[in-house]
Amino acid sequence: MLRRRVSWDVTNSLAMDDVHPSSDSIEEEATTKCYSDGFDDNEDPFFLSDDDFVGGDDGAADALLEDIKEDEIDLLKHKQQDYKILNTAEIRQRMERDVAEVSTVLSISKDEASILLRNYNWSVSKVNDSWFTDEFEVREKVGLEKLVVSSDLSSNKRKIITCGICFEPYTSDRIRYAYCGHLYCEICWSAYISTSINNDGTGCLMLRCPEPSCRAAIGQYMIDSLASEEDRKKYSDFLVRSYVEDNRTTKWCPSPACEHAIEFSGADGIFDVTCRCFTSFCWNCKEECHRPMDCDAVKKWILKNSSESENVNYILAYCKPCPNCKRPIEKNHGCMHMTCRVCRNEFCWLCLGPWKGHANCNRYMEKTDTEDRRKKLAKESLEKYTHYFERWDANRKSRLKALADHQRVKNEEFKKLSESQDIPEAYLEFITKAWLQVVECRRALEWSYAYGYYLPDKDPAKKQFFEYLQGEAESTLEKLHNCVESELKEFLDVGGLSKKFSEFRTKLVGLTTVTGNYFEKLVRALENGLCDVNSHVIKGSEDEVEDRWHCDRCTYANPSSLKSCKMCFIK
Amino acid sequence: MANSNLPRRIIKETQRLLSEPAPGISASPSEDNMRYFNVMILGPTQSPYEGTFVQLLIGGVFKLELFLPEEYPMAAPKVRFLTKIYHPNIDKLGRICLDILKDKWSPALQIRTVLLSIQALLSAPNPDDPLSENIAKHWKTNEAEAVETAKEWTRLYASGA
Repeated sequence: MLRRRVSWDVTNSLAMDDVHPSSDSIEEEATTKCYSDGFDDNEDPFFLSDDDFVGGDDGAADALLEDIKEDEIDLLKHKQQDYKILNTAEIRQRMERDVAEVSTVLSISKDEASILLRNYNWSVSKVNDSWFTDEFEVREKVGLEKLVVSSDLSSNKRKIITCGICFEPYTSDRIRYAYCGHLYCEICWSAYISTSINNDGTGCLMLRCPEPSCRAAIGQYMIDSLASEEDRKKYSDFLVRSYVEDNRTTKWCPSPACEHAIEFSGADGIFDVTCRCFTSFCWNCKEECHRPMDCDAVKKWILKNSSESENVNYILAYCKPCPNCKRPIEKNHGCMHMTCRVCRNEFCWLCLGPWKGHANCNRYMEKTDTEDRRKKLAKESLEKYTHYFERWDANRKSRLKALADHQRVKNEEFKKLSESQDIPEAYLEFITKAWLQVVECRRALEWSYAYGYYLPDKDPAKKQFFEYLQGEAESTLEKLHNCVESELKEFLDVGGLSKKFSEFRTKLVGLTTVTGNYFEKLVRALENGLCDVNSHVIKGSEDEVEDRWHCDRCTYANPSSLKSCKMCFIK
Repeated sequence: MANSNLPRRIIKETQRLLSEPAPGISASPSEDNMRYFNVMILGPTQSPYEGTFVQLLIGGVFKLELFLPEEYPMAAPKVRFLTKIYHPNIDKLGRICLDILKDKWSPALQIRTVLLSIQALLSAPNPDDPLSENIAKHWKTNEAEAVETAKEWTRLYASGA
């Protein structure tokens, strides 16, 4: 079956042959993990079809097997990058650890160390480097110059000083100052700090002395001794926020309800992380996991979905402009006598001529075809987008549903199932695996549709290969999803035969593995840009295959000869 | 109402504004609201906003209003030109684009410093950070002509009447 359908140029036989280990591993899984026998693998039509793949060239496939296994190990490593999930307490710990380290190494107070770190995006090494290059310059930059005034103040507690903000006289024990020695009373300091904490967001962490020409930093000590309980709490939360957001090695989990951060100290790159709240996201762009799409394309796709641009295409494809006021009009039924609701202009829908004096317009008149072509192209462009979007969206919804179903089954039905089948709940782990596989595959399939949308039409070999891989992956996923969703139900209420259940188990385990393999293949092929296929870019002078570019705003396919979009330029 | 319980700072600032006014600037509180000031700023010499000499200086007087909000001095005063003025950092409603009136406000600044800054802004328009796009464009493309318009507007509107 496979052989017949492989009609494109496959430069690397790996693309086909790496199906082999998949069938191998199914059998392995099926036989080793089965806890009750009494069935025959080969009777299962599913396995039979899989055997077809292997065909005759076993020798070559065996040789490839080792390569592939290594590949898969690499892939596994790629997937399981070393990252840590941190809760607020752990973030605070890390922050305190860094502050303590800088404070020790530079022999400065923790207050000063914290100010330094904040100014250098919490990078200990950057702080050290800059400090040892030019301590004076760093002090000046972050506002930690050496104390200017004070001896007079500390020696004479009863000295009367006028606050620089409220102009009230205070004894010197009620006057406070930062590293610079500009004198303000406690009350004005409190108000100043509170205003900043409540209005400037994380900006309050960079608070400076109120004197406009002064750059002295206000440290934690001042905040702790002058701010209200509530403001201190806010300030401390801002510190945590700044630690996570400014630090290159940490990022917040994007889920709105989640307070965890992910710490990853490796190089930047595209790989997925999963938070303790089960939210998975791409480390690089913080969007949801989107393998095999790359981050830029995802951004483009999301922008496209959110924009109104598709409406433009719809209007062009299905509406005609009122010949008088040019507003788009859609006709849904009735006769050809149109009256524009806005300008009350009456006209014929077919020829757009004025209705007054209109007799008939059935006679064919040659007309410039630009208008028609424009419409045709717009319609095609919209249809293409709708095709991919519908499937992207359906898989997305299906993924969310699967996630919810999985939770429900796990929480409510595992117990029932274990009682009715008389097996321990731990044995049901394979169902969890299947559900998670469905979720993962739905995600990959979802993004493969966005990928497909951006795949150039002019390279039919790639497109065909892509559609083949996607089609195969999709149909196994449908089988798996159906199996775990519908067939599982049969065992829930009725105390079905244990043998039947074990058959179900074998089937599901097998399907889970096979689906996983299909998707791994799909994702890998898409991530390397379908490079297993020789590009046959059709070059031709004919209009049909003319090189086109898609407008970012309205997606209209413009001929490359045009610089601005033919569709959405402003008239 | 607003006059009872006036903070000492405002009283002191007002006294000093009246007793030692800054050159070219006058600010006096309204009788019924001590937080509301009527302000007059003389267009600085060598700027398109200065008055004309006909035996003595005529015109070049810009009226402004200044209001001290409840949070003052923790929040900046609100200032607005009442006299029409052709300036890239001032829009047609008289609103002023000046950093110390927004994010650069500090409670250590005062009414006096704010008004001096506004006066300085008249001497040095900044078309790169415009509030009024059209005027800024005019300023950048043809400064001489823009300055002429500013002078014209000063003559027409800034009579001080």
